[in-house]
Amino acid sequence: MTNRWQPLVAYVAAVLDATLLGSIVQTQFNLAALSALGAEISFTTRLATTGHDLLGFTPLYGSLIAIMMLGAMPAASVVTRWLGSGAWLIHALAAALGLWVTLWIVDTLAPMPTLIAATRSLEGTLAMMATAALGGWGYAILAYFDWDGASG
Amino acid sequence: MRRFGHILLAATGLSVCAMALAVDYRVETLAEGLEHPWSLAFLPGDGMLVTERAGRLRLIEADGALREAPIAGVPEVFVGGQAGLFEVALAPDHADSGLVYLSYACGTLAANTTCLDRARLDGQRLVERETLFRAVPDKQGRSHYGGRLTFLPDDTLVLGLGDGFDYREQAQNPANHLGSLVRLNLDGSVPDDNPFVDDSEARAELYSIGHRNIQGIVFDTTRSELLIHEHGPRGGDELNRIIPGANYGWPLVTHGVDYTGARVTPFTELPGFESPLLHWTPSIAPSGMTLYDGKAFPEWRGDLFVSALVARQVHRLIREDGEIVGQEALFTELGERIRDVRTGPDGALYLLTDSAKGRVLRVVPPSPP
Repeated sequence: MTNRWQPLVAYVAAVLDATLLGSIVQTQFNLAALSALGAEISFTTRLATTGHDLLGFTPLYGSLIAIMMLGAMPAASVVTRWLGSGAWLIHALAAALGLWVTLWIVDTLAPMPTLIAATRSLEGTLAMMATAALGGWGYAILAYFDWDGASG
Repeated sequence: MRRFGHILLAATGLSVCAMALAVDYRVETLAEGLEHPWSLAFLPGDGMLVTERAGRLRLIEADGALREAPIAGVPEVFVGGQAGLFEVALAPDHADSGLVYLSYACGTLAANTTCLDRARLDGQRLVERETLFRAVPDKQGRSHYGGRLTFLPDDTLVLGLGDGFDYREQAQNPANHLGSLVRLNLDGSVPDDNPFVDDSEARAELYSIGHRNIQGIVFDTTRSELLIHEHGPRGGDELNRIIPGANYGWPLVTHGVDYTGARVTPFTELPGFESPLLHWTPSIAPSGMTLYDGKAFPEWRGDLFVSALVARQVHRLIREDGEIVGQEALFTELGERIRDVRTGPDGALYLLTDSAKGRVLRVVPPSPP
């Protein structure tokens, strides 16, 4: 792999990573809210609902993540260069913070108080930020990995 | 099988309309320049009261002229988003008492809810106004207030409420009013026979629970049926027949999904929850409802008319013996969001269009009979 394509591959992987993990996590928060109301959620139902959301939730959420990562990852790379180390942590934090800012903007602009139901609670918001952080972490791994050195 | 019937009706309703006989009509503009008109009430002597969501109560004179100055004495209204002044309804004894009821959003952006006031209309202004009901708890945001009300023959009224959007699970909690239909005596006190009065952990005003955002209420005196409709999320708008004390399932059961595309719930029905008479999926955003009993359109008598915001039309729900057997989309040529539909004392159908320059429209036969 050439260095020219490495950031793009890292970006796509980070968006996919954060989007899919975020979708899976938000489903579990929604189902947990129903369980708290007394609903019995079988494993099959949980799996089917998670799968449904991977198809139904990801187009919108993936768009938000893609836009967020476009800003957050280059910013994290600048900070990494400036500090000279800590790429994994910096990119993870940048993605988490980027998602928080994105959610704030969306909730400010959208007519409803909170667009993504799972982020109505602090726990849900932190969990979603954690999935975004994993995406940022993945970006750093791929973007900073020395492919030529590894293959040589 | 019954569920299948409902789904079949929802899926094929609009095709059924092709079989319905088209009725000719003419649409007249009665008043215009109203800021998001929300509700209409017919005064004795041909005048009308119209609420504007922006917090004004307007008078349309008997000659059809919109009085410039709003009626004074309305409560302080929280305005913004879906919040504002909602329903105006004349008391059943209005001709003698002059009493009117107003529902509205009260409070602030950080802490607001739905309130119900009663006052006496004294020509130019409301006097002796008192707050009869304030839904609890206060909530944040500017969404899902309900606000529609109607009177029942036993000298009570029912008021529809919303779940506040962010508080959807609270629609299952009888300890508050979120996502419920409440029933009150005309003075705001709680009727002794309300279904939750003996439950010490429930709000005594509750009449039914598990609603998302009630936007239309009709009592069919012929069949003694209370019908409501409510907004679903993306899909799952519902028409429900109300049974006192029943639970209509939101958010545990719905035919809709969240605006994000995520499932609110995997269940469209569960034991213990009432299923809708029909649901609209995709959503039409039902906004008002009337049971047509006028004489101007004999073919429409006994049918329900549901105004719709997103669908920009009025759905005629064709009924036979109280059962809905088809739907017909009306007034699509207007291309406007319709906030309310009413049957006038003259037999005409009245529509409110939802915009910053909303109109009051009167639907009449094409030519005088």
